[in-house]
Amino acid sequence: MNKIVFFLYVLFLLCFTFFSYLFIDPGLIYLRPLFTNFHQTHRMEVTSIFTLFIFLSFIFYFLCLHFIKKNQLTMKHICMLIGITAGILVFAYPAIVSFDIFNYIATAKVAYFYHENPYIIMPIEFTNDPLLLFMHAANKIALYAPVWIFLTRIPHILGFGNFLLTLLQFKVLVGLFYGTTVWLLWRMTKNSFKIAFFALNPLVIFEIFVGGHNDIVMMFLFLVSAYFLFSKRIGKSVVSFIFSGLIKYATLILTPLYVVSFFKTMSQKTFFFWATVGMYCIFFLSSLREEIYPWYGIWFLLPASFLVGDNLITYVSLAFSFSLLLRYIPFMLLGTYFGPTPLLKILLTFVPVIVVLIAYCLKKQRILR
Amino acid sequence: MKKIIFFLLFFSILGLLNGLSSSTTFASSSYVLPYPSSMPGGISYKIHLVWEAISKYWYFGDFGQFEYNLKESDKYLVESKTLFEYQQYLLGFNALQKSNEYFAQTLPNLEKAKTNGKDIASKREQLREAAIKHEEVLQKMMLETPTTFTWNPEKASQSELPIHQRIETLIQTAKQYE
Repeated sequence: MNKIVFFLYVLFLLCFTFFSYLFIDPGLIYLRPLFTNFHQTHRMEVTSIFTLFIFLSFIFYFLCLHFIKKNQLTMKHICMLIGITAGILVFAYPAIVSFDIFNYIATAKVAYFYHENPYIIMPIEFTNDPLLLFMHAANKIALYAPVWIFLTRIPHILGFGNFLLTLLQFKVLVGLFYGTTVWLLWRMTKNSFKIAFFALNPLVIFEIFVGGHNDIVMMFLFLVSAYFLFSKRIGKSVVSFIFSGLIKYATLILTPLYVVSFFKTMSQKTFFFWATVGMYCIFFLSSLREEIYPWYGIWFLLPASFLVGDNLITYVSLAFSFSLLLRYIPFMLLGTYFGPTPLLKILLTFVPVIVVLIAYCLKKQRILR
Repeated sequence: MKKIIFFLLFFSILGLLNGLSSSTTFASSSYVLPYPSSMPGGISYKIHLVWEAISKYWYFGDFGQFEYNLKESDKYLVESKTLFEYQQYLLGFNALQKSNEYFAQTLPNLEKAKTNGKDIASKREQLREAAIKHEEVLQKMMLETPTTFTWNPEKASQSELPIHQRIETLIQTAKQYE
């Protein structure tokens, strides 16, 4: 990999990390000295810079994929890139994209500090808690399944009651699951292109190391169950699959696929094809519950990485990983979830995918001719 | 003079009417009681009792226990009210007892939460509202039920159910928590 490109990539990561601190919430007392309110007063500027960052991240991503294809980037290089990306972005301010990580922290605090059931007692009920000053869903009981609540005990303890340290621990936890997912993916595929397709995807990196989303934990357990399934260790596969569902429920849609695969031998390609289809289904169905959140893209990107090639799933998944990041733009620009924001989000999500679909169809037609 | 007597009489009657009407007006609270749940006698009620016992452990923590006891107390109060309406005095009488037992457990759990450093102000207000509502329902119940009821079981000696005495006990508990 060109040294200049590498240097520019590191510079890009550092700039983005710095940029993320422009989004600090005024209520976040722990980072009050860094609060500028810049994102509220200069909406157009921050939105333009954010959009530029998205484009740049995809340019770096495609460059990496190109270098891997040309055998100019080895697995060692990919690991180094992952390490540097994680090492820098783990310090980025998470609420540039979502406040979910604060909810994880609050839920863990309800369970392990206040010793209350987070499925009954909401964070808002602890009226003097400083978390209420900046978290966004304080009036909701725990949204996640029990295995996740159980896992959050680790970063809660390792945070030693310090908010910033706890925040970092949560990011490290999801980062570790990302690392083990990549390792397992390598073990199962032995293909550096497939690894990079998932591991270096800007949406994946952004949602895990910036947003700190727990979707990677669910997908890791799904991958473990698939690994055991193909190793003919059915019991372990079932347990891992149940645990995956007990992180965030979404993978439970794959239950019929597992039932079929227990009775009928299935190739890895067929299994991951149907897994991708299933995760796409739940991805689209999530709009019935609330809306399609960008980090849901991790759900289909992991199984899709097993199918990487000149096929529709690869192109559509790439298009979605780009367009889902664009969903942040309307709110960043307009500062409201109402008005034109919902429509703009839909357009930004689906127009790039439709363009890619049309391009793919035209390409296939040309080949047929 | 006649006019003065007339006005005195008029205002006396008005005052009496006002006094009478105020005796049937209860303290009102915005607190909302639940719908009646399943009633004793059916299989669903037995399942309900099992679920109630399991729920006790699900509602762990000081606030959790407070919520659990208040929820169960509300449920049994509504149950007793419904049973009394159907003149099922023995069952209603027992439901009242359960409501009182659960209600008595609410404040101790809040105090425990306070000892554990939790801010209980909003929960205390919730309990106060609940206590006012309980008292309101119990006062109405007092008007609609007999003072005592003689229960004649088929194969046992009869017993006297002091319904009003029990309602009065509940009112006193509610008043303590207001």
